[in-house]
Amino acid sequence: MSTSLSTSGRTNVPAPDPAPDPMQALAPALRQHARQQWRGLWAMGAVLLLLSVALLLLSNSYWLKTFTSALTLSVAVAGTALLYGQLGLVSLCQYALVAVGGWVALRLSHGFGLPFELCVLAGGLCASAAGMVAGLPALRLKGLYLALVTLMMAGGYQVLVSAVGFPDGGAGWLGKAQGTGRLMMARPAWAESDAAYLAYVVAWLALILVLIEWHRRSRAGRSWALIRRGEAAATSAGVHVLLYQSWAFGLAGFCAGVAGALLAGGVGQLDGRAFAASESVLMFALTVVGGAYHWLGTLLAGLLLRAVPALLTEWGVNGFLAQVFFGAALLHALITAPRGIAGQWVDGLTRLFAHLFARPPGPSRERRS
Amino acid sequence: MIRLDSVTVQFGGLKAIDELSAELDAPVCGLIGPNGAGKTTLVNVLSGLVVPRSGRVEVDGSNLLPLAPVQRVRWGLRRSFQTEQVVEDLTVWDNVRAVLDHVPAGERAIAQDVAEVLHYTHLADVATRLGSEIDLFHRRMVELAKALVDRPRLLLLDEPGAGLDERESALLREALLGVQQFRGAQVLLIDHDVDLIAATCRQTLVMDFGRRLALGPTAEVLADADVRRAYLGA
Repeated sequence: MSTSLSTSGRTNVPAPDPAPDPMQALAPALRQHARQQWRGLWAMGAVLLLLSVALLLLSNSYWLKTFTSALTLSVAVAGTALLYGQLGLVSLCQYALVAVGGWVALRLSHGFGLPFELCVLAGGLCASAAGMVAGLPALRLKGLYLALVTLMMAGGYQVLVSAVGFPDGGAGWLGKAQGTGRLMMARPAWAESDAAYLAYVVAWLALILVLIEWHRRSRAGRSWALIRRGEAAATSAGVHVLLYQSWAFGLAGFCAGVAGALLAGGVGQLDGRAFAASESVLMFALTVVGGAYHWLGTLLAGLLLRAVPALLTEWGVNGFLAQVFFGAALLHALITAPRGIAGQWVDGLTRLFAHLFARPPGPSRERRS
Repeated sequence: MIRLDSVTVQFGGLKAIDELSAELDAPVCGLIGPNGAGKTTLVNVLSGLVVPRSGRVEVDGSNLLPLAPVQRVRWGLRRSFQTEQVVEDLTVWDNVRAVLDHVPAGERAIAQDVAEVLHYTHLADVATRLGSEIDLFHRRMVELAKALVDRPRLLLLDEPGAGLDERESALLREALLGVQQFRGAQVLLIDHDVDLIAATCRQTLVMDFGRRLALGPTAEVLADADVRRAYLGA
């Protein structure tokens, strides 16, 4: 069935249909759009591959560990970016959920000797459940109030983790060793060296980014976009707001949990003092600076979180100056780059490619002037 | 057919709708009234965003009040808002496709359904453009397209022509008049544009202070002395 409208202003008279099958007429444009989307995905894979090869070739032991931490945190940042970029929600407990994932992975690894991948998945799933709980206030609260509630949750986790600590091969439910005998978490057999573990982390990061991209392009992504536009409008389009919002918090928590497990595998042990609530605030701020609307932003935010402070330390600059640098970067992002550094870079590259591959004007057009 | 039976909505001490009863059976019905008359509240009652204190609401014989808003969408009720709700970072195609994610799949293939609706609403040429890249006319048509996918039974359109110029309004008018033939759905149209109401609506309900001021054939209603005094300022 296809009824077309005439443009003559006469009403109630179906015009002759210029395109017998609307789908057929639209198919080329849709195919081209799909190709563009696939190109974006291939570009992501290529950038990650090049980045890991470059880091493996150029980094010494110190920088290998630093970049491993940075890219591990990019996995967690992907969750923060998902909530902020897709739903417009500010969650300030993402780093606390990293601790949840790390705790579960360490406990399962030391207590049951499970394969590393299973520990990572279990850490992700437990943090996902915790993330859904953190997201419950979002059903009633938005903006500043949601940020404050999640920050208080992060504070609660900070107290808990400081009191309980992380499992390190000891006995009992908490798995905490007393005095000597603290164990390191076993890495996967094929990623025991620092270089191999960096590549392993990049593979997990790629999986997480693909998982999020797949969500963004599917029913969940469209529903999140409608919720971000307005809950009343989303409800009127049939979106089950509770379900899709909880799903987003669960996925963001999963990202944090996977990051926690990878962090535990990278360092071997985790320290409760490293999971202060302020780390979640810093992670959110640098997610905005890096860019919450593009996968490139998650990479940049991870590098800002770990690689930039390490660089300043290597240059002999006081570590506190990093905070000043981040504050200035956040101001810059809020004022001039609402889509973050990634947004600026992507826009710049798009303009560059458009300039480089623009078709030169034909001879007839030149003669016309 | 929309049947309202003694519908009352109260916000604190304010009666936004006061014992409203009406039967609307034309393919395209108008709903007009001065600001604060209760028009948008009535649309919110029909779509489930506001629960009335008392009364009964039936559409095509189905009692809508026990249904949650999401269930009403699956039933076939669609609405647009005064402020268009196009998502900036989704393509026009995905903006429309998003509604089909949440309604039972019809007999037609989803892609075919979206393509037909985009063609009908003059959006085929901008199907792959992002919401942030299209003009106001196309944004308004996206809202209409979202309401037309699958098997809609009742469209509640809240000022769908706001901000459109004369030519664009004419295209919208044609689209509204063809809805019954295109998808078989009834349209309840709220608009301050009396010309649009007069050109598209066979039957019009006029509200004032939450009450029914007039109901009947649009020409008669618009000529009614009370309506002219309350709404048209004549």
